[in-house]
Amino acid sequence: MPTANTQEENSKSELQKNHGGGGGFTRWAVVAVIFRLALIYFPGNLNLSSRPEVSTPLTSIRRLAEGYWLKQSSMSPYAGSMYHGSPLLLSVLGPLTVKRIEGQPGHILCSLVFVLADLISAILIRATGRKLQIAYRKSLKSLNLPNKSTDSGALSSGDIAALVYLWNPFTIVACVGLSTSPVENLFTILTLYGAATGLAPLAAFGWVMATHLSLYPAILIIPVILLLGYGPDAPPSKLFRSKEHGKVGDGKSSQEIIFSWRRAFHLLVWTSLWSVYVLVLCSISVKQHGSLQEMFQRTYGFILTVEDLSPNIGVLWYFFAEVFDFFRDFFLIVFHSNILFMILPLAIRLKHRPCFLAFVYIAISSMLKSYPSVGDSALYLGLLGLFLDELADMQFSFFLFCGYVGVSLLSPVMHNLWIWRGTGNANFYYATAMAYACFQIVLVVESVSSMLNHDRKLTKLSTSKLQK
Amino acid sequence: MAEVEKKEVAAATPPWKPKPRPIVRLGIVLISHSLLVSVVCCTAGVVALFLLPMLAKNTYISENALMPGSASSMLSNDDISEAERLAKDLTSLNSGAADAGIERRRVLAKYLSDLGVEVGYHKFEPHQNQFHPLHFFSSPDSGLSRENGSCSSYGINVVGIIRAPQADGKEAIVLVTPFNFRKNSSSEALSISIGYAVFSLLSRVTWLAKDIIWLVADSQYGEYASVASWLRDYHIPVFSASSSDNADSCFEGNNINLLREESLDQTEISSGFRRAGTMAAALVLKVTDVKGQLEDTLSVYAEASNGQMPNLDLINVVNYLAVHRQGLRVKVEKFISVLRWEWIWVLGDTLNFIGKVAGSLNPEWKFGISTPDYVEGTATLANLLYRQALGIPTGPHGAFRDFQVDAITLEISPKVVYTNQGRRNEFILRSARLIEGVVRSVNNLLEKFHQSFFLYLLTSPAKFVSVGVYMIGFALLVAPLPLVAASLYVDANKPDPSSQGPKHKLQINFKPWKWLSAAKQVFTVHAWGVFVSLLPYFISQIPNSTPAAHSIIWFSLSTFGLLVLYLITKSPFKPQKGEWENLKSVTISVVFIGLLLMSVVNFATAQIGALVLVPACLLAQPLKLDIRDASLKSFLRIACNVFISFVAFPPVGFFVLKGVNEGSGNMDVGEFWTWLESLWAWNSATYIYIGMVHLPCWVLCLHILLHSC
Repeated sequence: MPTANTQEENSKSELQKNHGGGGGFTRWAVVAVIFRLALIYFPGNLNLSSRPEVSTPLTSIRRLAEGYWLKQSSMSPYAGSMYHGSPLLLSVLGPLTVKRIEGQPGHILCSLVFVLADLISAILIRATGRKLQIAYRKSLKSLNLPNKSTDSGALSSGDIAALVYLWNPFTIVACVGLSTSPVENLFTILTLYGAATGLAPLAAFGWVMATHLSLYPAILIIPVILLLGYGPDAPPSKLFRSKEHGKVGDGKSSQEIIFSWRRAFHLLVWTSLWSVYVLVLCSISVKQHGSLQEMFQRTYGFILTVEDLSPNIGVLWYFFAEVFDFFRDFFLIVFHSNILFMILPLAIRLKHRPCFLAFVYIAISSMLKSYPSVGDSALYLGLLGLFLDELADMQFSFFLFCGYVGVSLLSPVMHNLWIWRGTGNANFYYATAMAYACFQIVLVVESVSSMLNHDRKLTKLSTSKLQK
Repeated sequence: MAEVEKKEVAAATPPWKPKPRPIVRLGIVLISHSLLVSVVCCTAGVVALFLLPMLAKNTYISENALMPGSASSMLSNDDISEAERLAKDLTSLNSGAADAGIERRRVLAKYLSDLGVEVGYHKFEPHQNQFHPLHFFSSPDSGLSRENGSCSSYGINVVGIIRAPQADGKEAIVLVTPFNFRKNSSSEALSISIGYAVFSLLSRVTWLAKDIIWLVADSQYGEYASVASWLRDYHIPVFSASSSDNADSCFEGNNINLLREESLDQTEISSGFRRAGTMAAALVLKVTDVKGQLEDTLSVYAEASNGQMPNLDLINVVNYLAVHRQGLRVKVEKFISVLRWEWIWVLGDTLNFIGKVAGSLNPEWKFGISTPDYVEGTATLANLLYRQALGIPTGPHGAFRDFQVDAITLEISPKVVYTNQGRRNEFILRSARLIEGVVRSVNNLLEKFHQSFFLYLLTSPAKFVSVGVYMIGFALLVAPLPLVAASLYVDANKPDPSSQGPKHKLQINFKPWKWLSAAKQVFTVHAWGVFVSLLPYFISQIPNSTPAAHSIIWFSLSTFGLLVLYLITKSPFKPQKGEWENLKSVTISVVFIGLLLMSVVNFATAQIGALVLVPACLLAQPLKLDIRDASLKSFLRIACNVFISFVAFPPVGFFVLKGVNEGSGNMDVGEFWTWLESLWAWNSATYIYIGMVHLPCWVLCLHILLHSC
């Protein structure tokens, strides 16, 4: 037996030991929840909820509490540029912010909601991973390629992805730091889950809610349509076609590559239904003190015009603090269309892998969005685990890991140097933000290229099979 | 047919292999020659460190608004004689009497209120410094609990505030003179004299644009504690009723009431806490008696917690006025023992010679430095690096830095203890004029100090090395780390030619993720490091034990923890090829990240740590391999490895340094504990560095050395 294979098995068995099968997942998920609860009770002076990395103007619970207070005192929750979130979130989480239980830390109920959201997200990721893996095996089988995933038994990419999501320090910090991003992430994941399982109403609901809460998931409509139309990720469709040419009379695989217009139409219908529903709910919620127009201005408008220039881990605040006012509109358009420009080429190149496409979209938007936080990174890092089999050959994994660790430690230190000690300045902090953006770019580029390499490898293998 | 051939060719050669970009090629070249690069870079880094005294530039006053020395002094002999009267009144009180402290405070307050300024008392309980491992990342004092201390121990500061006649009272300059009200000390009385002389002058002048606060800090519980608690109360008002009630009840039966009722029937003594605006700068004034000096000297202390320094302009102003206006000799503390090292003198001679040769070749090259200057600069630099690395403030000025106020301590020591009143008056006059000049300069400021450097090293009071220069040496020292990590990583994950299985199998191997298991080990050891750094908190709770016992308990518990960890995580598999390379690669990456972080938090710690950790990490290689090799090179490496890993163990390093500094006298195990305790009591980031970066990496290096490959 060559040594590499034993190594491989060793590493696999180690992974199995860590993550186990279903039982292992449950155990580690429970431990993750307990860990979060312990952190919530931990009387530390970390002040996570006031850290710029964790809470942005959109996700801060303190702003939400303020908005709720304004609403309770018969004012528009959007008065005074404090709150910029959804009125529905205000109605659900608002009452929880004021309710105190004796002897418990403040905002305990909100924390519990976020822990629950994280847990549900992890379970949904796991279910999505199962779906993807089944689809992957099926497509390998139909290509007559040996399937290694069946040998490895308990090692499932869905489990790993869910555990990566649960145990990612970014997720934990976002959850314990009382930002609303766990809820936003939950709806994004729900969209993907609904689309992967073919449930158009669920996918539509998730998409409408996610878009309503944070706007950027709107671009996920393309992967969702593709996912519903083509089914979960598969090797490129021309592979199946060439296979058909090779083996005449196999009609099974030809069904998989037909775009199902019926499902896409369902999705559109359901999307419009849910949108109307959400809008009606919102208008009821804001009717007394404001209007829907004000809501759009204060939420989407706030996101798109980058009004709040307080420092965060993104790259826009510094730029718009420096830019001359008369260029502002121009650069706003440039920066936002950056995301839009990438949608179409990526959609064309990766249309056979809609789930991965969704991951790439999420990663890009969390890099270029106006108020990013670590919660956004937590989402795409968790989703990255779903493509473990395909991305196993990814380069620079160690480099990226070190980069993420280094930047996430350096960023608070630079912030401290700038804000509290006064010996640094904004450039110090912004440098870490740029480094962070660079690492994200490397991650996206590397993952996309290794996914394409994987496709090439499959093509090569199946053509060599055919020639035999 | 031709097409099929082409396809086969394409299948045989690895597909899609474009030529890498120039930057990638450069990286590949560097990585493949990592040994050479690391030797060159490390040597250059160490050489650059020793060149720093030569590269130091003369200081200059960067902020135009300061205009030091542009106005003539207004201080007159009347102020001095009035101040001397106060000093006499203070010293004449019987120090043995129980209420001498109260009486002195009353005298001082009376004098101050006679000047027509606001006077207030500030009572405080001296805090025991608490261990806050996470304190560094939070805002100053956000987590400080105000626990109820016993009523028996408290101190009272006396605060005088001059309101600037033509200003809006939004800014202030602070003068601090530590004074022990309970004791009679001639030097402290002298410092009070100087302070009062300046203060009485400032209460009359018309040019004040900032309020002046004179804090006579009650130093019976230490100078730092009193200033720190006053600052805390100044910046963080307490509104909670319970704690203030409690504090008041403490003082109720005591003499503060007495003070209030009897001292002054007028209402000058305010009952509440008096505040002025935000502080522009603070000067701490002390007078000490040092025997055997040739002239009056002024020592400047600037290091605050975690090696933070005040803006260089403040030191510049003081230095300029002291040297050019008052004729005082300005000193910065230095390591005396460095002056005795022969090799430093030899190095200085060599550099001097090189400088001369270079100067003769091209007169434009003026980097020569005389040997005594070089040695003095090195001694000063060594002391500054050591003080910064400790992270413990060198005086009460450190408390100000926590609130972003630039502050320094001026320690003036007269040539002799003056008995002649005339000479004494002259000394007071010079010192007071210095303070007056500095206050006048700071008074001119339009903004906070920002123009000059915050990150610098001093090699003499008038010479500094800026961050842009000293970072080069550090960067050279740590530059090999990522290169070596990358080259090891590449070596360990090279595709094995023997394991190229059948090509037609869809082989998804997790080889690129092999570093994960090494990362797991590194993470475990770092978790152990966290455990070890938190242990002293619990050990120090054990009552009635000596520092030696503490350190033995600590040591044994840590070793026990490490053993348990080793047994739990011991891999049942036999070591694989490339395992130690992966482990070393991850360790080096962690060291790199840790040093980089530390260089931002506290440069001096990172520099000293890098001098130890970088060679230790780069040289680490399993001893087994070297023994198997049995060449001169490998024996040399074994010797280096054993020596470095011995010295890099923190207690050993501590005692070696101590032995070098103070001579190998009595070595007590408890000393190390005491030293570390002082580090964590002052919330020094160095403690966290030692516990969470240095110690785990040292353990990992040992692990690599003893690896059974």
